[in-house]
Amino acid sequence: MCRMASKLARDPGRYQAVAYSPPGRDSMPITHGSRSDRERTIVATPDDQRQAFEKEALPHLDTVFRVALRLAGNEAQAEDLTQETMLRAYRAWHQYRPGTNIRAWLLTILRHTFINEYRKARRAAPAVDVTEVEAFTVFEDVQESDPEGRFFDQLVDEDILRAIDGLPDEFRETLVLSDVEGLSYAEIAEVTEVPVGTVKSRLFRARQALQRELYHYAVEMGYIKPRNDD
Amino acid sequence: MTEGPHEIDCREALDRLYEYLDAELTPELAQEVADHLAKCAPCLAVSKFETAYLRFLEARTRAQGAPDDLKKRILERLLFDKDAPGGS
Repeated sequence: MCRMASKLARDPGRYQAVAYSPPGRDSMPITHGSRSDRERTIVATPDDQRQAFEKEALPHLDTVFRVALRLAGNEAQAEDLTQETMLRAYRAWHQYRPGTNIRAWLLTILRHTFINEYRKARRAAPAVDVTEVEAFTVFEDVQESDPEGRFFDQLVDEDILRAIDGLPDEFRETLVLSDVEGLSYAEIAEVTEVPVGTVKSRLFRARQALQRELYHYAVEMGYIKPRNDD
Repeated sequence: MTEGPHEIDCREALDRLYEYLDAELTPELAQEVADHLAKCAPCLAVSKFETAYLRFLEARTRAQGAPDDLKKRILERLLFDKDAPGGS
């Protein structure tokens, strides 16, 4: 699992000089070595920046989009949110310190964009209750009939995503960052701006509540028999 | 037992189970959980079930990536972005 490196890295940032805006250059490639004295202090040209951004940030587009989709709840908004996030990241590229955790950086921008501009428009109240979570009770229910959890495999993707979408915001984002995208606890703590202990407890409750919900689906669909037919 | 490492009970092992499966424990604490699972069949069964669950989640939720045309649109916007530092 990828470890967060941002706390350790103290690279001065080779993109810090890009705040300079040459007039009248839209999309023209800018060549090196033909600059006036006035421009000589510039380290990164717009072209450098775009190339660096394409090389380092764009490979994480799938992750940004998937998380956006789970945050926003529909594809149209997820696309807008992804585009807005990447544009903001591009404009703030001088703030990104090379060598630090780009994925966490992008996801932090995504999350702020979502909270500031999209959350109000979000769907109805969460459908999955995370307040009454008891540990490992699904296993207790299936340990006789299906101790290896084969019933999970019979669930269709749509049901799984629907169940995830039913989690309350902070539990959903924690679970998605961990179990869909594979971020470490420290990375999730950085992105969601809470202590690692909070990440742990949210993740525990989110996983157990989701498991219970999936188990209910499986029972409803007849993939597994409930322990007691009462 | 003579002087072994600290032994944990079922409650402690299950409290730490997710951290153990997520490889988030220190080597010492992970070893304590591993030692407990090695000799406690009920906890090992829970561990196997939860492992299957987490693998299932990972395998079944990542199919969808960003649409192809979204990447194109983003690249085009970057190319013509007027507010980018260094852009015009």
